[in-house]
Amino acid sequence: MTAPRTTDRAADGARSSGQGGRGLEIVLIAVYAIFALSATARSLVQVLTKFEVAPVAYSLSLLSAATYIAVTVALVRGGRRSRLARALVVIELLGVLVVGILTVLDPALFPEPTVWSVFGQGYGYVPLALPVLALVYMLLGDRRGRTAREQGAGPRTVQP
Amino acid sequence: MSALSIVVGVLGALTAVLAVYYAAKDLSADLVLLGACLVTALGWLVLGIALGLEDLASDGPAPDRVVLYGYLLTALMMVVGGGWVGAFERTRWGSVVIAVACAVTLVLLMRIHQIWPGGFA
Repeated sequence: MTAPRTTDRAADGARSSGQGGRGLEIVLIAVYAIFALSATARSLVQVLTKFEVAPVAYSLSLLSAATYIAVTVALVRGGRRSRLARALVVIELLGVLVVGILTVLDPALFPEPTVWSVFGQGYGYVPLALPVLALVYMLLGDRRGRTAREQGAGPRTVQP
Repeated sequence: MSALSIVVGVLGALTAVLAVYYAAKDLSADLVLLGACLVTALGWLVLGIALGLEDLASDGPAPDRVVLYGYLLTALMMVVGGGWVGAFERTRWGSVVIAVACAVTLVLLMRIHQIWPGGFA
């Protein structure tokens, strides 16, 4: 194994942030991107080929896909301290909770499963855990970022 | 076909384990890990082509083609995208992204078997 240690980052000219890349944030972006991709693909197939079967479920499926895309874009552009990303994650969490409760109380509305059915059961409950973890990370990261700024590290630059 | 999908699954699992090892050792992705991603991506490409040929040749029950090829394309995009992130994010977190992406392709592979069991008969 001759992989470069990440502590040798000084030799790497490709980074644009003073802290050496996005760090944990990139994992959050990747997971959101994966969900954006799979939810969009799934809901487009559902809406385009069999919308009459379950209009409510498929509309919500499309809505969840749009939310994941929006969060991914907001995170890529604004980073974890983006207010927009935070607001969108809160909306996402509400969506998971509302759809989850609806699928438990009135399963007839959802003859076909969606990403958010039963709190994301079909996806290992990751759709429920993801916004919670994202919010925790955003709030903790904010506190650390402020401390770093107070110590004179300067505001973190956003990557292009 | 089953043998090929087992190879693709093993490649994905090995790449994921290697990426976890890199992340644990605080290593960013190097040519070994990126090469593993590339080999896994090539495996998915070959599996996709092989399933397409099987689909053309078989007279058994046809698969739900949109879903089947959608899954194959998604898996390929995830491995390539994970490697791409790993190449640009020069921290351990780039390796974590590769691990996550490869782990997700294992789930996709499982689903592909459910979507078209006839393709692996």
